[in-house]
Amino acid sequence: MAQKNIKVALIGNPNVGKTSVFNQLTGLNQQVGNYPGITVEKKQGFAKLSNDVRAKIIDLPGTYSLNASSIDENVVIELLLNKKDEDFPDVAVVVTEVENLKRNLLLFTQIKDLEIPAILVINMSDRMKLKGIELDIPFLEQELKTKIALVSSRKKIGIDTLKNLILNYEDLSIEPCLNSSSIDPEYFDKLRKTFPNQLLYKLWLVITQDVNFLNLERNEIKSAFTKSHSDLKRLQQKETIKRYQFINDTLKIGQKIDKSKASGIQAKLDRILTHKVFGYVIFFFILFAIFQSIFEWSTIPMDFIDESFAHFSNYAKTHLPVGKFTDLISEGIIPGIGGIVIFIPQIAFLFLFISVLEESGYMSRVVFLMDKIMRRFGLSGKSIVPLISGTACAIPAIMSARNIENWKERLITILVTPFTTCSARLPVYAIIISLIIPEEKVLGFLSLQGLALMLLYLIGFFMAIFSSWLLDKFLKLSCKTYFVVEMPSYKIPMFKNVAINVLEKTKAFVFGAGKIILALSVILWFLGSHGPTKDFDNAEQIVEKDILANNLVLEPSLIETKVNTYRLEHSYIGIIGKAIEPAIKPLGYDWKIGIAVVTSFAAREVFVGTLATIYSVGANDDEDDMQNTIKKRMQAEINPVTGEKVFNFATGISLLLFYAFAMQCISTLAIVKKETNSWKWPIIQLVVMSGFAYIVALIAYQILK
Amino acid sequence: MQEILVYIALFIAVGFLVKKFFWKKSTKKSKSCGDDCACH
Repeated sequence: MAQKNIKVALIGNPNVGKTSVFNQLTGLNQQVGNYPGITVEKKQGFAKLSNDVRAKIIDLPGTYSLNASSIDENVVIELLLNKKDEDFPDVAVVVTEVENLKRNLLLFTQIKDLEIPAILVINMSDRMKLKGIELDIPFLEQELKTKIALVSSRKKIGIDTLKNLILNYEDLSIEPCLNSSSIDPEYFDKLRKTFPNQLLYKLWLVITQDVNFLNLERNEIKSAFTKSHSDLKRLQQKETIKRYQFINDTLKIGQKIDKSKASGIQAKLDRILTHKVFGYVIFFFILFAIFQSIFEWSTIPMDFIDESFAHFSNYAKTHLPVGKFTDLISEGIIPGIGGIVIFIPQIAFLFLFISVLEESGYMSRVVFLMDKIMRRFGLSGKSIVPLISGTACAIPAIMSARNIENWKERLITILVTPFTTCSARLPVYAIIISLIIPEEKVLGFLSLQGLALMLLYLIGFFMAIFSSWLLDKFLKLSCKTYFVVEMPSYKIPMFKNVAINVLEKTKAFVFGAGKIILALSVILWFLGSHGPTKDFDNAEQIVEKDILANNLVLEPSLIETKVNTYRLEHSYIGIIGKAIEPAIKPLGYDWKIGIAVVTSFAAREVFVGTLATIYSVGANDDEDDMQNTIKKRMQAEINPVTGEKVFNFATGISLLLFYAFAMQCISTLAIVKKETNSWKWPIIQLVVMSGFAYIVALIAYQILK
Repeated sequence: MQEILVYIALFIAVGFLVKKFFWKKSTKKSKSCGDDCACH
């Protein structure tokens, strides 16, 4: 028997636990991508409802209503209005939260007006008793003309009921809950008569929302029925008031709240966590603990991965047939990939902490707390989300700035977010810190390396704040500003949600950057193993001749090192590196570091992969050397002119500061262009940030050398 | 033979990076929100 597929749209306000319901329905059977042409995340998964019915579940971006004020909300409306869309749902599952039912139901009543079969999910039902809430489900079902699933995604309650309701979606009523056309009967009557075959509420949304829906039809409707902007706004307000009147009347009977139980620990926690002094102190200590843990807990798995890749490379070298391709695998591909895999533990820990903060509801308190400070620097409290998300990756962080309603605040946030230390810079920081900062404890328990890492994160954050202040002074844009933030209830983070988030983000990091690193490793290895002149091909004879001419007696391994170094210097990569060396020498970098800095413009973490490839090409083939890890090789690198270590304190600090301030990567520039709709801002960012980074690194090196 | 494999790998790597950073995809533009969506 053929399998039946049902398309289900999961819709709801932000912070109602929509993603938790999605995770419970789909498990790990999920795909994450983008909506075509825009950078809004598209999440879909599959759930088996019965032996012959499978549901494709689309987790739509959180939206408060069908009155769009952001690109995310447009995605929802455009899908629900367009029956021709391949994802147009057979059934809409509207997720609400038991404590905010009144506000959440506004969206539900709008979706009902679109005559799409809709199921109402009341999530977090396990909190009803605690909060003194009682619901008359049969009454609510009757008034809202739907079926209700009382769900607790946290305690896995009600998921089977929900699956069963989805399975039987054809039994659901598509009748609207209220007659919204009564806000202006004359206008809607005319509309109905002109377009008798169209759904009235759909026409109304097309008129008011200007959404991307069947262009011809929209123009036709608008030319005949457009009212003035203020009249339309007034009607929209009337519509919202009417909906809330209906919701109030329904909940007056269908919901009973024992007020004495409603307040409690949440209010007490809020008083502490958003306190004007303790709030900031607690936030600072949480950040401090996170960075200490990232360094402390990652050491063992990182060392293991580092050693494993060194062995793996050696194994490939000794067991595969001798030849150029084997060299490419053992000296190019394996060390290059090792350079990214090694940082999985640190990145996973970072995302783990961020997910826990978000899941627990604490992040919204941070947004509220920071608004007072942020506003002084031309930012919004909501800017803290991009700035903190920027510790993962600047690209989604810049996209998350769309939640900021004020254009000037949004633009400033977009421009300064790349100062925040992203996870791609973490590998660079981690390896350089481990080379120049001793592995010591301060006060017996604080890791000095962890402190250095935290300092770098703080430098990035303060630079972002300082730049915002400057931009606020210089940017001549005026936009009205208002700040609305949702305070979700405090929750113990759900392991499954945190795990899926960590897995998804780490996977995206490894595979997104991994492909670029693999491609660059192949190219770099080729450029390091081939040269345009005879000096490269005859390196062995030239070095031997030189040794004989100077009457030197050297160990065979030292002769091999000299040959390899000579060959590398005369390879394509050596020639390119030497060409840029004059520009980077004042910063304390040699040509090898220069190559790594240039290639890391593709993605910051490529820096380590590039050095891993360059040093592998230049290394001896003997057993001991092949087992050297990238860190040991960098530690052992000697400047042939000064005889000092290449990665000394001055060079290390100069590199750290350069990476702290330089504009991030090509993808970041592309996303800034997309979000600002202009090349002007990414070019200004690139020139100003990279120029500043160069000057700071130069000053630091010249002082410390 | 190994030399040929190296050149194939190099060709794929260069092709991938060119496609990733220089290839322009045609995109569907949303008409509903400009760059100042929701800015009043």
